[in-house]
Amino acid sequence: MPKKRRLPALIKDMGSCLFKKPVTQEYPFIKVQAPEGYRGRQIFHPEKCISCGLCERDCPAKAIELIEVSGRRLPHFYLDRCIFCYQCAEACPREAIEFSTNFELSTTEKAEMVVTPEEFMSKQKSTSDEEEKSVD
Amino acid sequence: MALDLIFFARVLVFPGFLFLLVLVLFFDWLERKIAARFQNRMGPSYAGPFGILQPIADYIKLFSKEDITPKQTNKLLFVAAPILAFSLFVFALFFIPIDGSNVVLGSSFEGDLILVLLLVTLANFGIFLSGWASLNPYSGIGATRVLTQFLGYDIPLIILAIGPAFLARSLSIVNITASQTLPFALLSPWCCVLFFLVLQAELEKTPFDIPHAETEIVGGYETEYSGRKLAFIKLSEDFQFLIGASLVTVLFLGGAHGPVFFGMPELWHVFWFMIKTIGVVFLLEYIGNVAARLRIDQVVHGNWELLIPLSILSLALTVIVEPLLRSVIV
Amino acid sequence: MEKFEKAVEVLKKNLADTIVECKVPTPRKAYILLKPERHRDAISLLLKHVENTELSTITGTDLGTEIELNYHMVCSGTVTLKNRVSREKPVIRTITDIIPGANLYEREIFDLLGVTFEGHPNLERLMLPENWPKGDYPLRRDWKPPAKIESESSPEETSQTESTTEPGDAESIVNVVVGPQHPALHEPERFTFKVDGETVVDAMMRLGYVHRGIEKAAEHMMFFQDVFLVERICGICNAAHTTVFCQAVEDIGNVETPPRALYLRTIIHELNRVHSHLLLLGVAGHLLGFEALFQHVWRDREPIMDTMERITGNRLLSGFNTIGGVRRDIDPSTVEMALKNVKAVKKRAKFYKTVFEEDATLRLRTEGVGMLSKSDALKFCVTGPVARGSGIDVDVRRDDPYAAYEEIPFNVICYKDCDTWARLMVRVEEVLESLDIIDYALNHLPSGRLRVRVKRKQPEGEAVSRVEAPRGDLIHYVKSDGTAYPYRVKVRSPTLANLVAFPEIIRGEYIADIPAVLGSFDPCFSCTDRMVFLDVQNGQKWRWSLDDVNNHKNGNGLI
Repeated sequence: MPKKRRLPALIKDMGSCLFKKPVTQEYPFIKVQAPEGYRGRQIFHPEKCISCGLCERDCPAKAIELIEVSGRRLPHFYLDRCIFCYQCAEACPREAIEFSTNFELSTTEKAEMVVTPEEFMSKQKSTSDEEEKSVD
Repeated sequence: MALDLIFFARVLVFPGFLFLLVLVLFFDWLERKIAARFQNRMGPSYAGPFGILQPIADYIKLFSKEDITPKQTNKLLFVAAPILAFSLFVFALFFIPIDGSNVVLGSSFEGDLILVLLLVTLANFGIFLSGWASLNPYSGIGATRVLTQFLGYDIPLIILAIGPAFLARSLSIVNITASQTLPFALLSPWCCVLFFLVLQAELEKTPFDIPHAETEIVGGYETEYSGRKLAFIKLSEDFQFLIGASLVTVLFLGGAHGPVFFGMPELWHVFWFMIKTIGVVFLLEYIGNVAARLRIDQVVHGNWELLIPLSILSLALTVIVEPLLRSVIV
Repeated sequence: MEKFEKAVEVLKKNLADTIVECKVPTPRKAYILLKPERHRDAISLLLKHVENTELSTITGTDLGTEIELNYHMVCSGTVTLKNRVSREKPVIRTITDIIPGANLYEREIFDLLGVTFEGHPNLERLMLPENWPKGDYPLRRDWKPPAKIESESSPEETSQTESTTEPGDAESIVNVVVGPQHPALHEPERFTFKVDGETVVDAMMRLGYVHRGIEKAAEHMMFFQDVFLVERICGICNAAHTTVFCQAVEDIGNVETPPRALYLRTIIHELNRVHSHLLLLGVAGHLLGFEALFQHVWRDREPIMDTMERITGNRLLSGFNTIGGVRRDIDPSTVEMALKNVKAVKKRAKFYKTVFEEDATLRLRTEGVGMLSKSDALKFCVTGPVARGSGIDVDVRRDDPYAAYEEIPFNVICYKDCDTWARLMVRVEEVLESLDIIDYALNHLPSGRLRVRVKRKQPEGEAVSRVEAPRGDLIHYVKSDGTAYPYRVKVRSPTLANLVAFPEIIRGEYIADIPAVLGSFDPCFSCTDRMVFLDVQNGQKWRWSLDDVNNHKNGNGLI
């Protein structure tokens, strides 16, 4: 049953808000860290890949394509189709695909919308979660 | 009233157009910052230090946008209505003594309180016309709402404004402020409280902001406006806000008077005026943030059934109680 | 539970000669095939003998030579009455005189499958645009997108036909069009209100602006990929969609989901519900002009989003469920963080309950506004908080338990006031209940496996499954023909069920009440409009999509 109407209950709450710090996070001037396990950009380990093609077949968004790179067929990930569902990482029998917490993927270069194996073949094979990427 | 250099300096620079413009932009920023803090967020922060240049940035943006006029409207009315509203508001501000005397020196007279209220009413007609001239169902509804609300609440506003006039035995704003050795807010607090509520309705702020209800009628009377004309409408809304807050200050809080410590008295008067008006703005925002928007029929009922009887009662109370209070306090 | 048995009993006893086949493969789910044209008798019987029976939805499936119409009736469990019509001449009698709420479902099937319902009051298109070629029914199995389409009328014509006043209207009647873009709506939908001064005289709806073709697209993707497709029907109730789809497929394949997975599914499901209700309460504040409440409620919703992010890897699209279980585990530090957040949100939710109960301006705006009596609510088959705000005591979690709800104690909130305020209060209290459920589930997590490996191919069969999404009763019907691709996926989301009642409620109210009532319905139009094939905003874009499809390598549907 509706209770008796009283004066606005928010008066005290509002007043106390004046003395609190605003809850706004001043992104992008202050960097925000995504928690571990966040499904961000893929990290690929070319040395583990056996070119089975299971990732390409299982991707719900058809965002992976196996293209020949220096003699082997390796997956290329199209980030503009990817839905970041993690299915490729699950399907891979050799755990060659790993996800990072990198979510800052906006760019003005079309070339950066594809994750290529060359990127990982030239770098040192590290197992860190963070991928340093400059955002345009 | 000589048409000499001082006249032009006062009208154009200080405390005339330029100063009023700067004041209005400052109060716009202040309003947004206070509302943001009530809502636990930051408000304008990046345009200038503390975001104080944000209103200027907004108006520059508006001036640079395309100005569209609907094909079938009466062009004269569509263009003239916002300008009419704007100029009437600015003219009304000329009669409020921000630095102790009116903008045009020596132009105050008995009854300029009524003149100010009249000018504000006429300016709201201008706003109504701008909505009506837009030929859009949303604007039409918004315009009728403006008229219904404003005309309704003008009555208690005038009744309540007579209270301080009575206490000062004069209808001239300069005299009212001068005779406030004790602020009238203390001598008739009921008038002050009711005046605040009625002012919320006049300024179309929550809980009475039906004419702007964006979630129901998109933009109300400003739906069809864009570019420069929209800038005029928004500026006139801001000026109306300043007039409302200043009215409270001059009628109930002693206007620009306050202790003068050193140097030019005019600057001190401006300073005290600003402090009091900022306090009023703060209170108005507080009321505006703790209530939802009422429906038009509830607003109209509230006016006729509640506020008008109460304002008449409070005026009567002021008249009756005044001698007692004066003898007790003074 | 007893209502379900009673319903099946009643049908078997009185219609013994009409029933061709009756299957009860899982508890509380019955599939009864009737002789042609006998569906009206069965439905009338159920309405008479079983209380609070509602029609959930009507599914149409193209079986090759016949079109099968499934009438899903809710009586605690789900009783599906099947009826077949020939494909050459697909005509069947309507049931809108018995159940007015079936109006939109029959229009949908008429639009997309070409079945004519005799006696329907206004059999028109629902989802597809007016200039779609006649005779083209996208949901039929043999439908191919034509290479080039000539639009029969230009787009300007179609938009003008609905906004002119009819000759019979009085001078003072003005047509106010709300949508497709309007500050009161979060998703595009077009409502045309006939207004006299400030009172609404009539309302007309036009749906289908966010039509994405998910049901047809789901037939071209494998079952486990469909889980991701179904998740994106709606961002806010994504856990509900994946849960119900996985349950339907698990019913077909006879998969036994492990208990730990059931509990985790429940936790995510309830987190979804809390976040959705808090979102709506803030939006209701915004629609009523109460900006400050909006900002505060959304600030207090953030801990829930953070918890979701920590558990599932994303704030909104959880990607948590899969066929056979869940994909991720939850470790003890996450459990601790979740419990802490739940406690913090609970404290704030109690405060908001007092605000909604006591605040004078909110009450002035919502009390007595948008009345929907209990009998009307049953007639229109509304679900969820809208039904519970009118005194109908139904909740899928209690009547037809799924996931872990059989083991978790909770209350069903029901208000008898039938107005907007009651609908909002139901949601406020459901937030508190859900937080309790999450607390219980987190503290009583059973150990064990997370998922069962499921083959890609599912056996032949069909299943219907319902869950209590934040907005009401969400139903999925999945039919499999023995391959890895589903034969038919049908989704009916709760907003479509509730929208039928909206024009009736809004008649006679003020314009200012439109956002309040719409807000209390919590419409999620992304959920409502996901039918067949392609995006149909205007002729130009549609042609582009077609070329895209024809050039696409695999010829699969666009997502």
